[in-house]
Order: sequence, then C-alpha cells, then structure tokens
Amino acid sequence: MKVELQINNSIDPRSHYVGWAPSTCRIRVTDPSGTILPNVNVQLTGISAASAGAVKFRKNATGAFSDSLTLQVPVTGASVPFFVAGKFGRASVNDRDVRIEARAALLPGLPTSPVGSVRVMVRIRKNANSLTAGERDRFLEAFGQLNGRGLGRFTDFREMHTAVSDPQAHRAPGFLPWHRAYLLDLERELQRIDPSVSLPYWRFDRPAPVLFTPDFIGVSSSSNGTVQFSNSNPLQFWTTDGVQGVNRRPLNNWNPAAQRAPFVINEADTFALGTQYPAFRTLEGNPHGQTHVSFGGSISSIPTAARDPLFFLLHCNVDRLWAKWQRLNNRFNPAQAASYDSTPPSRTGHNLPDTMWPWNGITGGGRPPTAPGGAMPASQCVSAPGPQPRVRDALDYQGSVTAVSRLGFDYDDVQFA
Amino acid sequence: MSKKSIVAKKSKKAAGKSPSTAKPKTASRMSPKAAYSIATSSKKTVRERVAAMSLVPMAATESEEKPQAVMNLVRNTAEPLKVRLAALQSLAAASFSAEGFDSWRGDYIATLRAVAEDPELEMRQRALGLLAREQDGFAQKKLLEGLQHPEKALLPPEKALQLISYDVHAEAYAVARDIVEKPPNPDAKREALRLLAADAKAAPLFEKLLRDKDETREVRQISASALQTLKPEKLQEHAREMLLDKSEFDDIQATSLTAITQFGDEESIAKDDKLLKSVDRFSASKAPAKYKQSARRFVSKYSK
Repeated sequence: MKVELQINNSIDPRSHYVGWAPSTCRIRVTDPSGTILPNVNVQLTGISAASAGAVKFRKNATGAFSDSLTLQVPVTGASVPFFVAGKFGRASVNDRDVRIEARAALLPGLPTSPVGSVRVMVRIRKNANSLTAGERDRFLEAFGQLNGRGLGRFTDFREMHTAVSDPQAHRAPGFLPWHRAYLLDLERELQRIDPSVSLPYWRFDRPAPVLFTPDFIGVSSSSNGTVQFSNSNPLQFWTTDGVQGVNRRPLNNWNPAAQRAPFVINEADTFALGTQYPAFRTLEGNPHGQTHVSFGGSISSIPTAARDPLFFLLHCNVDRLWAKWQRLNNRFNPAQAASYDSTPPSRTGHNLPDTMWPWNGITGGGRPPTAPGGAMPASQCVSAPGPQPRVRDALDYQGSVTAVSRLGFDYDDVQFA
Repeated sequence: MSKKSIVAKKSKKAAGKSPSTAKPKTASRMSPKAAYSIATSSKKTVRERVAAMSLVPMAATESEEKPQAVMNLVRNTAEPLKVRLAALQSLAAASFSAEGFDSWRGDYIATLRAVAEDPELEMRQRALGLLAREQDGFAQKKLLEGLQHPEKALLPPEKALQLISYDVHAEAYAVARDIVEKPPNPDAKREALRLLAADAKAAPLFEKLLRDKDETREVRQISASALQTLKPEKLQEHAREMLLDKSEFDDIQATSLTAITQFGDEESIAKDDKLLKSVDRFSASKAPAKYKQSARRFVSKYSK
C-alpha cells in the first residue's frame, strides 16, 4: 500500500513549505495493494533532528494540534484533509529538514510500516543576527542574484521605492500594509531563486554584531561610509542605479560597541504607542524613521533607501513589530475599527478597500506615472493576496480571521494567533 | 586660517558645552510634546537635548510651527553642533513619517541648502548628502564645482564623488577619470572607480586594474564588481584565469569564485574540469576558512 501526501494541497515540492499558521493538506491512497478493508488507519508523524524544524498536526481547521495524527483514509483514492503547522520555536534551518512520515497497518493488530513520506520546511522569517552561516549564505546568494549586477529583477524593487512613489507608501495609514506587500513581493522573488530563503529582520533595538560584518550586511570601513564586504560575499557585486556598492555611514548616535542606535525606541515602547492602529502607526517616526537616519548614506533618505540591502531587513523588523502588535491586541480583522485607520478617508492607496500601487498597474490620477514590477507574484503555498492586493489584504497575514487570507510568512517570535 | 582649522575649533567649542553628569530621562518615555520642549530649550544640557530630539519627528506632526523652529535651530550656528546635527537628523526622520511634511518640504530643502555651506564640515557633509539623495541641482553643482576647483570644495573629494554618484552625469565621469589618474588620496581613487563603474567606456580600465597584482586588493575587488556590470563575460573570463593562477592572492581568488558561483553559466562550469580542479585545490589550501567553505560548496555542487 502507498499513500500520497499533499502539502498545501499539492504534491509539487515547491509547495512543501509551512509556517506557524496551519497549512491545508491532503492524504490519499495511491496504491491499495495488500489492503482488504474499505478504510485504512494512517498515522502521520514529523521526523527531524533536534536542531531542525518540527511540525504538528490537526484534523480540522480548528482544535488542538498534536505531534502525530491518525486518519481514516479510504482505499478508493478519495482524499482526506488535515492540517500541518510548524511547532512554534522549531523553525527549520535547512531546506525541507523535516520528514512527515505516514505509517499504516494493513490489518488491525499488525505492526505498522511506512506507506509514504514527504519532506517539508518550516520556513520562518528570523532575526538576522541569529541565522546560521548556511541560512545567511543562502539569503545573500539569492539576494545577489536578484540584484543581478544591477540589471536583475531587483531593479523593479528599487524603482518601487522612490521619491515619486513616496506618497503611496509613507506618512499615511497605508505605510505598514504597503511595506508588508513590498517585502512579500521581494521574498517571493527570492524564493523563486531559492525556495528555502526567507527574509531575515534586523532587530534594530538590540545589538546585532553578527549582522554588521563583512560576511553579512557589510561594514563601513571609513569615515565616508563606503561599505566593505568580504571577498566571498555576493553583495560585493551589489549595484543599483548603475552605481556599484553601498554607502552607509553610522552617525554620531550610533553606538559602535552595542551595534545599535541608542535613540531608537525599543520593542516594549513601540507597543506602548497604543492599542489602536492610529496611535500604533506613529512608529513610522520612531523607531522606523529614527532607525533610517541612524546612518548617513542611501538608507537615510526615502528616494535612495532601497539601494541599501539593509533597508529590507530594517523594514522586515518594522513589519515584525506590526505582526507582534497585531497578535498582542488581536488586530487582524479589517472589519474591526481598531485594526486600521481609514476614517476620515485617506489619500488613494491608503484606505482599506483600495488596491495598492504598483501591483494594481494603475498610473496617473493620484498614482505615480509608472508601475514597475507588475502584479504580485503567485505563491506555490498560498493563494493570497492575489495579483492586485488591497490594503485590507495585508492585515490578516496568518489567516487567523479567514484561512484563505494567509500570506505565507511568519516570524520566529510571533505565534499563530 | 584655513576653513578646516576654523571648523575644528568651532566643533570643539560647540561640543564642549555639554558637561552634564546627570543621566537624561530616557527619550522613549517622554511625550513628544515634552521631548520637543526639551530639544529646543537652550537651558537644557546638550545631552538632554540630543536625546529628546529623537522624538521630535512625532511632535512635528502636531503643528507647522515646530518644524520651523527645528529648522531655525539647524541653521543657528550659535547652537551646539551636536544639537544642530540631532535637529537635522530629526527633520530627516520626519521626512519618513510626518504627515505634514509635504507642506514644509520646500523650507526643509532651503534649510539644507543654507547649511550646505556651514562652517562645520560635518554639517555640510550631512546637508549635502541629504540634498544629493534628493537629486538636488544646487548640491550637484556645488559638488562638481568643488571637484573641478578644489579651492571651492565644500567636502573632501572622496565624499563629493560618493554624493555625485546619486545622480551621475557625463561631466562627473571626466572628473572621476582625472582623479583615478592623479588621486589626491586612496579613498578618492576608490570612490572615483565606483563612480566609473557606470561608465561603459571604463571597461578596459577595470580589466587592467583587475589583473594588476600591484594594485590594492580593494581596487581589484571594485574592478571585478564594475566589470561584472559593464562586461560580465570579460569578468567570467578573468575570474576563471585568476582561479587557475596559483600565484594569485587568496582574497582575489575568493572574489573570482564568488563571481563564477553567482553569475557563471552552470553548464559550462560543470564541463570545465580544469576550473573544478583549481577550485578543489583552493578548498584545500591555506586560504581563510570562509573562502575554503565557498570552494567546497562549489566543488560539491559541480563534482560529477
């Protein structure tokens, strides 16, 4: 007897990535030979090394998870649904380092034997400062390839975050949703290059001595801020706007011993900004803006910030803060007033029902004159947010209100709601 | 007395005004309003004012008078430099976040232009940096003028070259080429080369520098990167040769290997036994561990 396990309802290995939020899965018998009963009990278990990812199961969309799950599967080949999620705190380190094994006994009372298996990865956005060398290198290689000597797909991401697009992304309620979509787009492109990569975040209120090294995001080697990378770092070829390299000069409030900016408010104070979105989104000033200007160089101005690869790790942390705040205050539901700020109506692109530029392809009439990059790329794992995301689509990122809204990313310190 | 020495004296005087031993209240625990009041008060210590200034971007959203007062503070050379710089930083942070920013953007740019010729080098550098990133014509003109006529320079040449690269024009290439030929210092040469990485005519120069073992490793690394942009096929050719060259430096071989790993044609690499043998040898050499690790990954990917 053999069974087929479909993760995210697919047998395609590119779909075999899960997070803390449950993934919908299916199992079916593909070879019933040896069975004599109409149904067979199949036990699912996750097998992995102690340092690798770990998964948990549940039968229905709600209810408790467990380390193993027994399902009654018809031998006719009909599918039986189940749910898999990463076990919080046990993210994968390597690509598909967890094996989900299916075991069954042909007859009741007989010992079980393996009847199928599939490898999955608990793919989670992690603190950049604690990545393994392997995780770091995979990320840098994918990022370097996306940049493609200044001519790759990264060019679109550079053109999405400029002075012209500024009103779409800043100083209004859509700041957080727009950047969430922007990072998701970038991450999906990185995953096309290497599906095991997720975007790391720079926790800017804590020391990050591992991040600010020549082997990772580079170090400013001189007073004028030219960033140096090691000879094995793919970012040494980083090119934007036709210009080679990165400029990033730590300013006088940068604490070189601690590797963090002292005037950036910490996580607790960020959450203390308020439990309603209008108050919380003032994080756009501090810590967000304040972190940007902890440096001189391209990251310190909106028109040029996206020229620095660190920018994406900075924003990943801003997004993590939002995600964590959402969980603390249960602010996932767009229908709940405190989850967003759209009264009185804000400018186009910042209201809950608005589609977001540039993914909507709309130009002119309050939108920028061009829309680089095209639609939001599809994911192999989830269906949301669709090619033209709306502001509201960014809120329920884990699918805790509506399962199909799940965007397919999670943070290492933000549990499934 | 030169401008630089005046600058140094003024900086010391300004910085010396903050001998407070009292630990300032943690900025993040203050209300934006209180922070604003402390930041702009000459009765408070420099340390207190600088700490409070980080919350001004939030206060700036409350009225238009506040950003104006902060801009006046930036322009006021009688204020301590640290406070003025913190004020400038707050305005820059507000450009990311303050909802009313668009209405005072013009004044912000005017303030930056005013302090672009400030007596303090650090202030000039920051203001010109912010302007250059906005592709401001005034800043571009001043920077180029300073490179062409060093007596008018507001910034050291290496910094001016770096800032000009935010909006490169043909005339900047001519200046950069001159600096590469007669560099006033190694940093200026390096920045001139970075600028030229966007100039198609510079490819032969980068090929020459890349293969010159007497050049600094940094210049050779920049040349490899520039060539990757200008003539990627040439870099692949040179990178292969440098990996085969047993007398080549470890770090240059590591850069070559990274170029081939990232941008090389996988099919050709897989068939290139000579290259694979060289990389295998590199992986067992006395090179630093991180280079050897990259080499081992490469070999394991392509070994048959």
